[in-house]
Amino acid sequence: MKSKIKLWLEDGTIDIFIGYKTVKGHPLPHCFTLSNLEEIDELIVGPFRYPLEGIATDIASEQPNAKIGILVRDCNTRALNVLYIWNQLDRNNIKTVTVNCCPSPLKQHGDCSYLEPEKAGNYKKQVGLDSNMDTASLEAFGQEELLGRWMYEFQKCIKCYGCRNICPVCFCKECSLEHPDLVEPGKLPPDVPIFHLVRAVHMAGRCIDCGLCEDACPMDIPLRLLYRKVNEIVLDVFDYDTGTNPDQSPFSVLGDEVTLEPKPLEVA
Amino acid sequence: MECKFVPSVCSYCGTGCGVLFEVINGKIKKTLPMKSHPVNQGKLCIKGWNLHEHVNSFMRLKSPLVRENGRLQKATWNEAIQITAEKLKKISDTYGPDSIGVLVSAKMTNEENYLAQKFTRAVIGTNNVDHCARL
Ligand code: SF4
Ligand code: SF4
Ligand code: SF4
Ligand code: SF4
Repeated sequence: MKSKIKLWLEDGTIDIFIGYKTVKGHPLPHCFTLSNLEEIDELIVGPFRYPLEGIATDIASEQPNAKIGILVRDCNTRALNVLYIWNQLDRNNIKTVTVNCCPSPLKQHGDCSYLEPEKAGNYKKQVGLDSNMDTASLEAFGQEELLGRWMYEFQKCIKCYGCRNICPVCFCKECSLEHPDLVEPGKLPPDVPIFHLVRAVHMAGRCIDCGLCEDACPMDIPLRLLYRKVNEIVLDVFDYDTGTNPDQSPFSVLGDEVTLEPKPLEVA
Repeated sequence: MECKFVPSVCSYCGTGCGVLFEVINGKIKKTLPMKSHPVNQGKLCIKGWNLHEHVNSFMRLKSPLVRENGRLQKATWNEAIQITAEKLKKISDTYGPDSIGVLVSAKMTNEENYLAQKFTRAVIGTNNVDHCARL
């Protein structure tokens, strides 16, 4: 792997390679170029994940023609697919080196930080939602209780914007979450559930279930679960499987024909 | 093309979260939380996430300013320190050392805070030293 990357840098296939290196005892993202070629020997996969494709987007926004190499796990690959179809990255300028992801019976060795998600405490289990749940067991609570549980989770929000900031597919120049008419500035907790639902709606057809948002959330809100639910609907209703291939249309452009039956809103 | 990651510590409060500056072509583009940092474990508050904004701000002070005839003028560190020392000395000589108080900060390191209280007590000669976390 290292000799291949070295070769790519030397023959100009790529200008820069984004991977990881241990710095002062911390496995951190690191960029390798021709000028620090000898450091390639220190390239690691690293137990922690950073949004490497987000970094690539930042580099491309500064230098659109830069040829970028990236170390990718499965989630990075899905994020790249979304970034290609939303024209944030040019796939001709990206070269990937695929590494191991989560362990499974087929793949004994995994390098991911998401191997063991945090366990929910008793109180959270009683009144909130366990981040390790699946969408099917959410339904078992029944609508009213489920809403209560989501609201418990949402009202903990400290509006750090970490979920948006770390997300590889949140690339908008102007973010709705900072629009004063939608989310009142200086108000804590933010208006719930609107703050979280605005983001959830935007993640339809975009979220590639990497879990970085949940990882970054200081308040332990099961964000990944929320966006999983959203994208389950996107898959069921539109047969749109987010991030699975780079040739999909963006979710906002699904053809000329509207096939959904319009349903009247139930007025309570 | 240059892109590097500089580990640092958030300077906004006494918690001291580990941050990582994403520097592209010499400019800090983003602040990321350091995932392996024992204090914040990959999380930040809104201040930490926006740490780069004050570094990049056009309002940022890049050299000391001294007020002369009611207007702020650029000065060198030596000039500014000299003027401050003279004025502090004058105040202390006229009104006594207890007319001076020093406020230190959670944004500084332990060592800097130690030096500040030492300066207050041993050099100025007053016990009027306090901390922003108590305000
Ligand atoms: S939350 Fe929505 S508006 Fe904000 S960056 Fe993400 S997708 Fe864009
Ligand atoms: S899991 Fe979170 S961070 Fe990852 S793509 Fe989805 S919303 Fe973004
Ligand atoms: S990361 Fe969590 S606490 Fe921060 S804004 Fe997002 S949901 Fe709220
Ligand atoms: S990120 Fe927030 S909590 Fe952490 S040190 Fe900075 S200001 Fe304090």
